[in-house]
Amino acid sequence: MNLVLELFAIAVVIIGTAFSVIGVLGFMRLPDVYTRLHATGKVSIFGVVLLLLATVALTPLGFAKGLVLIVLLVLGGPATSHALGSAAHRLGIPLRQALRDDLQALESSDHPEPQRVG
Amino acid sequence: MVMAFLRTFVVLFGVYLAITGNLEPANLILGLIVAAIITVLVPPRSRAGSLSRLPGALWGLIRYLVILAVDIITNGINVARIVLDPALPIRPGIIAIPSGCHNEVATALSAHAISVTPGELVMGIDEQFTLYVHCLDVTHAAEYSAQAQAMRRELLSKILY
Repeated sequence: MNLVLELFAIAVVIIGTAFSVIGVLGFMRLPDVYTRLHATGKVSIFGVVLLLLATVALTPLGFAKGLVLIVLLVLGGPATSHALGSAAHRLGIPLRQALRDDLQALESSDHPEPQRVG
Repeated sequence: MVMAFLRTFVVLFGVYLAITGNLEPANLILGLIVAAIITVLVPPRSRAGSLSRLPGALWGLIRYLVILAVDIITNGINVARIVLDPALPIRPGIIAIPSGCHNEVATALSAHAISVTPGELVMGIDEQFTLYVHCLDVTHAAEYSAQAQAMRRELLSKILY
């Protein structure tokens, strides 16, 4: 049982670290604010959650405490990304290589009638 | 009204016990007091539904969380692959997705579910509850996200009753 737990923790640490590194790589490679938010905000959260799982398995942190931390992280992370992205768009920071921008039409017209998908 | 207070109280007490990780009587009493004070200070705004719909809501919640977890994992791997690809095959853009819910809480939860998925980020919501989503891959998201949102709306209507 202990061995299984340790193997699980090691696997999760490796995957979590890999995702954190990929998050940083994405931050450097992607072209603008909005795409970079995807790399740092989400992929990094993925990494941190996996590292927390390993912490729960290996250290006497306690299952419930780790679970509360994971829930708070998953609830708070997207709000941060949204706040940064929304603020950047309001300030008029341009999207690079963008194929379409439905939000632009809404913000520039007096009577918003956005083009809808689906 | 009592049900709504009780729901907040139970959740707060559970979180307190989880954080302290200590089941001694003194700590239990302190937890009850803290939870009671916060419950009184932050009155619940939503009404609680009837108990008979609770199993359906819980089942909906479990399905919602499982679908969300699968979405996060598959999209996380997708974004990792895009970042590691030497050609960096991104097609970024902002698309409008009607949330379909006429309820602020359901719209906010939909926005959270979209934002927590790697590769998709809600930039804003307008008065008609349309979500403006920035995607790393617009062409893929445009055909896929509308039906994902329809399923999410159906599950959320069960959970929130």
